[in-house]
Amino acid sequence: MSIKGNVFDIQRFTIHDGPGLRTEFFLKGCPLRCKWCGNPESFSPIEQLGVYKSKCISKKKCGLCLDVCPQKDALTFYRGKLVGFNYELCTNCKACYNACPSDAIKLWGQMMSVEECMEIIRKDIGYYERSGGGVTVSGGEALLHTDFVVELFKACKEEGIHTCFETASLGKFTQFEKLMPYTDLFITDIKHMNSDTHMCYTNVRNEQILSNIKQLAANNVELILRIPIIPDVNNNMENIEATADYILNELGGKVRTLQLLSFMRLGEEKYTAIGMPYLMKDVKVNRKSFTKQIQSFAEYFNSRGIHCLVGTKEKS
Amino acid sequence: MTNRTHTSALGCEAYDHVYELGFKVNHDDWSPYPRVNKLRQTFLDRPYEIDVQRLRLVTQAYKEHENKVRKLQCAYAFESILLNCDLNVYEDDLILGELCAPGKATPIFPEFSVEWIIDEINNFPFEEREFDQFYIRTPEDRAEILELLEYWRGKSIDDLVNIRLTQEQLKGAQKGEKIFQTNYYHYAGAGHISIDYEKLMKIGIDGIIKNIEEAQAALTKKDIGYAEKREEYEAMIIMQKAAKEHIARYIPILREKASVETNETRKAELLAMADNFVQVAGGPAKTYWQALQLFNVITHLIQVESNGHSISYGRIDQWLEPYYLADIEAGILTKEFALELIEVTYVKLNNPVKLKDKSTVIVRNGRCAGGESLTIGGVDIDGNDATNDLTMMFLEASVHTRMMNPWLCVRMHEKTPFELKVKTAECIRAGYGHPKIFNDEPAIRALLRKGVTLEEARVYAVVGCVEPNIPGKEYGWHDAAYVNTPKMMEMVVNGGRILDGPDAGKQLGPDTGNLETYQNFDEVLASVDAQFDYWLDQMCTSLHVIDDAHKTRKPVPFVSAFYDDCLTSGKDLAEGGAKYNGIGPQASGIATCSDSLCSIKQLVFDEKKVTGAQLLDAVKNNWNGYDTLYALVNSTKVHHYGNDDDYADELFKFMFECYCKNLRGRTIARGGTFNPGVYTVNANVGMGMNTNASVDGRKKGEPISDNMGPVHTDCCSHDIYGPTAIANSISKVDHSLATNGTLLNLKFPQEAVAGIEGRDNLISFIEEYLSKKAMHVQFNVINTKTLRAAQKNPENYKDMLVRVAGYSAYFVELGKPLQKDLIQRTELHF
Repeated sequence: MSIKGNVFDIQRFTIHDGPGLRTEFFLKGCPLRCKWCGNPESFSPIEQLGVYKSKCISKKKCGLCLDVCPQKDALTFYRGKLVGFNYELCTNCKACYNACPSDAIKLWGQMMSVEECMEIIRKDIGYYERSGGGVTVSGGEALLHTDFVVELFKACKEEGIHTCFETASLGKFTQFEKLMPYTDLFITDIKHMNSDTHMCYTNVRNEQILSNIKQLAANNVELILRIPIIPDVNNNMENIEATADYILNELGGKVRTLQLLSFMRLGEEKYTAIGMPYLMKDVKVNRKSFTKQIQSFAEYFNSRGIHCLVGTKEKS
Repeated sequence: MTNRTHTSALGCEAYDHVYELGFKVNHDDWSPYPRVNKLRQTFLDRPYEIDVQRLRLVTQAYKEHENKVRKLQCAYAFESILLNCDLNVYEDDLILGELCAPGKATPIFPEFSVEWIIDEINNFPFEEREFDQFYIRTPEDRAEILELLEYWRGKSIDDLVNIRLTQEQLKGAQKGEKIFQTNYYHYAGAGHISIDYEKLMKIGIDGIIKNIEEAQAALTKKDIGYAEKREEYEAMIIMQKAAKEHIARYIPILREKASVETNETRKAELLAMADNFVQVAGGPAKTYWQALQLFNVITHLIQVESNGHSISYGRIDQWLEPYYLADIEAGILTKEFALELIEVTYVKLNNPVKLKDKSTVIVRNGRCAGGESLTIGGVDIDGNDATNDLTMMFLEASVHTRMMNPWLCVRMHEKTPFELKVKTAECIRAGYGHPKIFNDEPAIRALLRKGVTLEEARVYAVVGCVEPNIPGKEYGWHDAAYVNTPKMMEMVVNGGRILDGPDAGKQLGPDTGNLETYQNFDEVLASVDAQFDYWLDQMCTSLHVIDDAHKTRKPVPFVSAFYDDCLTSGKDLAEGGAKYNGIGPQASGIATCSDSLCSIKQLVFDEKKVTGAQLLDAVKNNWNGYDTLYALVNSTKVHHYGNDDDYADELFKFMFECYCKNLRGRTIARGGTFNPGVYTVNANVGMGMNTNASVDGRKKGEPISDNMGPVHTDCCSHDIYGPTAIANSISKVDHSLATNGTLLNLKFPQEAVAGIEGRDNLISFIEEYLSKKAMHVQFNVINTKTLRAAQKNPENYKDMLVRVAGYSAYFVELGKPLQKDLIQRTELHF
């Protein structure tokens, strides 16, 4: 079993993606470019270097990255501190990462085998058992690593561990078909019902996504739907009503819970680290009225007979 | 047992629906009982004062009885205090009795030490302290205190200890380099006990006196210790009779108050209290209310005899239950009134405050006597679950009062009912710092290591912060000293010398090698072992001297009379009269040392990235000029404890076991052995101030690691994988080796435990943590924002309670460095 997945983060004791206490693997690579994405380091499917400039102790005091870099100009300094990479010059040799003593250079992505993942998973097995938790795979879009996830979940099921697949549902349905026998729970986003708007904010259209979710429901899988409520993107009644119609008419209401996630300014430091602009920088949210609005959406869904909660909860 | 069913309103019902989660300022109705809210507020508003009565009366008595043996001097002094002190009956109160001083006022205990009191009154007034202020009421009081204290110079325990300690013992202690600190019992009483309340309730003081008289009658002149024993019995009887009379003094006061009381309800309460006092002034408790009254007054009187702290309440839900059940059955008690009485008692139990010297409060501040643990839950003598209605009510009362005392401890085991876990989780996530959770399995194993029987071990109660103790049978001298292991580590890296400071040139400990000379890592470990051996020799022999001084100068016959084995042996607790004896000093900063060992092992010996000489020079220079190395030892590239990483966890285990091994087996004069504990409570901040840079990436003056927890330096947190990783790391050691207890603090953000899922996740986490056989855990459920706000505007957070490593304190009363440390601790993200 030599198949590997590109893991950019492992979170132990996560509680928000699936029931109970879980270990979560974040896989790299995503075809979507949601403007509000909190994990920009997940976009690229390859291993990627980034910089936390506040951790750099300066060229003058250290300079080890410069000493080892084969392309000196690949490293960008400002006021004596490493602030970024010129990715066009960078050969991704990771020598600087290995040399950096201060954790200022971060490496996102690590090719991991199923067994390597299982070793980490097993450490917290008692916590899963007691809490009804388990393992969650997320992304990026983890469908890009379907074969790896199938093997990983197969291994989990052999050891009686609950599995959850968190996805944007952009891929071929055959990929879901491979996953279904080993996946106890699917969590998928519905970002917007209007395909043009979807395209505008995520860089992809939504037809394939909606079709995949429909087929998941038709296969009677355990399904949690999520809408990330983003100001001025999808927080309008028209979209909310359309979503409710879709759930009732297309999915036959076969959704365990619909979760409404409130927009948070997450990931800004990571955008800086990989030298990308943070597109939500200027979005101002009146937290009080926004929260109230989301609450009213939840009430609306419930009034239509859809079990809906604000946040990652399933129990009110 | 009858009536084991849980009540709904007072039982397992979650109260957060009404009282909400977490801390809310200006929210003065935590308790549903207006009386409790009022008593609580009255307590908070009252000033911390110094009361002169005890000092005056004890001095008179000692002068008057100067030709008597010490035990009798103690007895007459105690008698004089109890019969002559002013008594207080506070408005609306239902349970009476304080420290023979007004509520929240500290008496003075000159028998233990006086030099620091004289020095501080003259040169560092208690009123002007930055925190932990105490107020002397008038200039006349101040003059009288100073005059009375003159009599005691040369006569205290402190004086006797000082003339007996050698330079070699002193150089590492509190007056020297503070590698170990024995100041608690050097300057004050030992305490750390829980008497057998069950027996006291059953037989009353008259029964205790009868037992003493029977033991006295059995004493023969053939006994080599005849004189000492006769004197012990005599002293016990004088003191128990004084206690009876003291209790009886309340009766006319209450009747007088009742006679002028116009409110009929209050009048009835005053008369009922008078009746309670009539009964318990000698007799056994006949009702639930009387049991709580007798408990309160005796617990306070134990603290009038000696100012040893952590006078704990045993398994109160167990010994109180028969009275609760009988009164409910008889129809003379409602569950509502039963809970109100508990809450009133809780407020009352905050009264014992203690004047401490300035060097002690820098390390461990807080004005309460401290450590009065109240233990509930757990298994019974047969190993079955012991949860009852009162277990639930003691938790409920805690969340309704949210005060420093009592230090609530829930014992858990495999069969703990889910309802109790729910209630415990509800208290935890209310975010006021109680309760702590104790794990029966390792605690019972630790007790068995001390030689107690399984039946005795099963009924253990926690005293102080985390020390398992057998009520009425054990005098464990828990919390006897702190070993600053990172300070000792300085000797390991630098050939028996400290790294910096005025004494840097001196050969303090043996030269067991230094980072320049070690040829391999085993030599480093051997050096740790040798330094432990040497410094524990110094500390243990010092503690022997202190123990002996307590025996010579301040025996405690009053509390000894509550110990069956003291009665049968005729020996005072201070003479080894208890069935089980010990001295329990604790190691602090273990993770600081083990992460230091990680750096040395990995960087010097495994990877050869730096030389030992470079590493030594770096810490000698407080990391100045070694920025790269400083960053590296603090980075994720070096193994660190708390990440479920065997490389680092093995070294933590080595440090933990090395301390336990070097302490274990050392015997004490009272019979018994030294018992290792591994915790700092909150002393890690004060100890760190006095500790030079360490190899783990700590700069001079920063806190050393907290209890069993991982390292957090100013640079960063060394643990990065969250609570399961910490729990897995911590449970790689055998906690039962630390027979004096271990302690783990975890700080969770409120958001992480919100909702039903949050509650159940917290319960699951606790269950799994306990199944891994770790001994103790407590939680700070609070957000960093709240802590920062409290630091800025302390006046708005007068009663915000947070967990500070094993004990609770009001946040705003903590010293600034400790506040900073709390804020900086890793927020554990779920």
